[in-house]
Amino acid sequence: MVGGWHGKAARLPAAPDRADYPYVTPSAPAIELRSTGRNFGTRVALQPLDLAVAPGEVFGLLGPNGSGKTTTLRILATLIRPTIGSASVLGHDVVAEAMEVRRVIGVMPEKPSLYERLTIRDNLSFWADAHAVPRVDDAIARALEFVGLGGRAGERVGELSKGWRQRVSLARAIVHQPKVLLLDEPSSGLDPSAATAMERMIRELVAGGSTVLMNTHRLAEAERLCDRVAILRHGTLLELGTPRQLRNRLLGGVVRVELAAPPDTRLQHAVESLPGVAGVDWTGNGLLCRVEDAGRDTPRLVSGLVGGGAQILSVVQAGDLEEAYLELMARTETAVLEAAA
Amino acid sequence: MTAFPIAPPVRALVRKELREYRHHRMIVLTATILPIVFLILPMANLALFDPDRSVGGTNLAVGQAMFCFFLSPVIIPATMAAFAVIGERDQGTLEPLLTLPLTDRQFLAGKVIAILIPTIGASFTIYTAYMLFVLLAVHGPVREPVLDWTWPMGFVLLAPALAAFSTLVGMAFSARAKDIRVAEHLSGLVLLPAMLPVMLVVTRTIPATPVTWLVFVTAIVVLDFLLWRMALRAFDRERAISAV
Repeated sequence: MVGGWHGKAARLPAAPDRADYPYVTPSAPAIELRSTGRNFGTRVALQPLDLAVAPGEVFGLLGPNGSGKTTTLRILATLIRPTIGSASVLGHDVVAEAMEVRRVIGVMPEKPSLYERLTIRDNLSFWADAHAVPRVDDAIARALEFVGLGGRAGERVGELSKGWRQRVSLARAIVHQPKVLLLDEPSSGLDPSAATAMERMIRELVAGGSTVLMNTHRLAEAERLCDRVAILRHGTLLELGTPRQLRNRLLGGVVRVELAAPPDTRLQHAVESLPGVAGVDWTGNGLLCRVEDAGRDTPRLVSGLVGGGAQILSVVQAGDLEEAYLELMARTETAVLEAAA
Repeated sequence: MTAFPIAPPVRALVRKELREYRHHRMIVLTATILPIVFLILPMANLALFDPDRSVGGTNLAVGQAMFCFFLSPVIIPATMAAFAVIGERDQGTLEPLLTLPLTDRQFLAGKVIAILIPTIGASFTIYTAYMLFVLLAVHGPVREPVLDWTWPMGFVLLAPALAAFSTLVGMAFSARAKDIRVAEHLSGLVLLPAMLPVMLVVTRTIPATPVTWLVFVTAIVVLDFLLWRMALRAFDRERAISAV
């Protein structure tokens, strides 16, 4: 199933782990790209990409500027057509059934893109009316309440701060209660507290049954929020998987363990001989352990330590998605330079 | 507004456009000052008319006055039409707007209807005011030619067709041009020569008869239809957002 859904991903080295793919189910995907590619003249913006996002999943597209993230989002939003391949949202083809797609998606562009001369209510009522939402006033009140702008419907958008405009933009995207949300840099330019609020709102939308595909440069946010991420560069899919899988693949699964007391030699030997442990650096009251698969081997390591009489204060996986991302960027940069040489 | 027999998304777009116009200084100025000027000029022309010193006589004086009224549905929509697509793109709202469940036809129809409402409204208002002014305050040799029923007939038939013509020309350029001013200038280049037949009637080179008006209206409606097709063809979503 995984290989079928992610043709490109099938060439990646990591073995599929069912625990890491809770969203890959036999049910129809909410979003599907089938060898979807896009050229602008002679420039290739997106190499043929195979991707499937399951209903209720939060999927993150990561990558540097010009990597094809926005092109992917625009294809799904029916703004541009794929040059090759096809794409669908909730089973509707983005080209042949563009109107059906537009009815089921909510789009939040990177910039708030609101009518600044109009009030918040006017902006939202336009969207609700265009989607033929019944009881528009209730829908607007519900959307504004959700984004924390209840009671401010009469304010002019042009007078709002960037953070509030982003909230209005999200309210506009959800006012017709779409099943699929396409978010382009939802927390772009927001201060940490506003970004955290945006993250919370996205999480609540997913809890309510929405499927989210988002572009982001905020890797910590992607790690917390996304069930799976795809990393693109120069229009090519480099990696796809859960944030944990990507960390494991790219950083080698390093686990840092802090102990209450320095380990004795017997414990050290016991740990080093555990299956899946590739190497251990002992550091005073702790250890830095390289395992083959952090998801599979960390519980075994903890059991081995406890069984050997150690008292564990903390266990953390070394490295985060940001480190994994930077590692991948460095590797591909090197590969490009070598190819050029 | 709810009385419109049009699809909800189009109705929503029309309503949004009208709300935006009310808050857009340039559009408000165009839609208010121009009609006032087009009303004052003919009224002054008639009020100050002196048959002894007039070169062209009463018919030319009346024709000159009517030219202002025929010009208003052409000039008033120019700014709004040029703003229609490029304006959305410049303020960054085109991209989300195009993700709404609107076909290209509905998108352009919403824009055209929203421009025609204030244009025809303003044009008919100033013409009605002008006729009331003539009925109540104008006496002498110009009164009868102004009240000749062929003029109101010509205006009622031609003004909406001319407004649609001007709007569609502006929309076609707005869908393709990169800048609002470029769209306005290009529209002007097309619109002014198109006023030549009207000019021939108001100067009495061609008589202002019902047949003349019917021929003109038929020709302009055909042109409107062709322009609608052209505007639809000129509007390309990808091209429209490419400059975002």
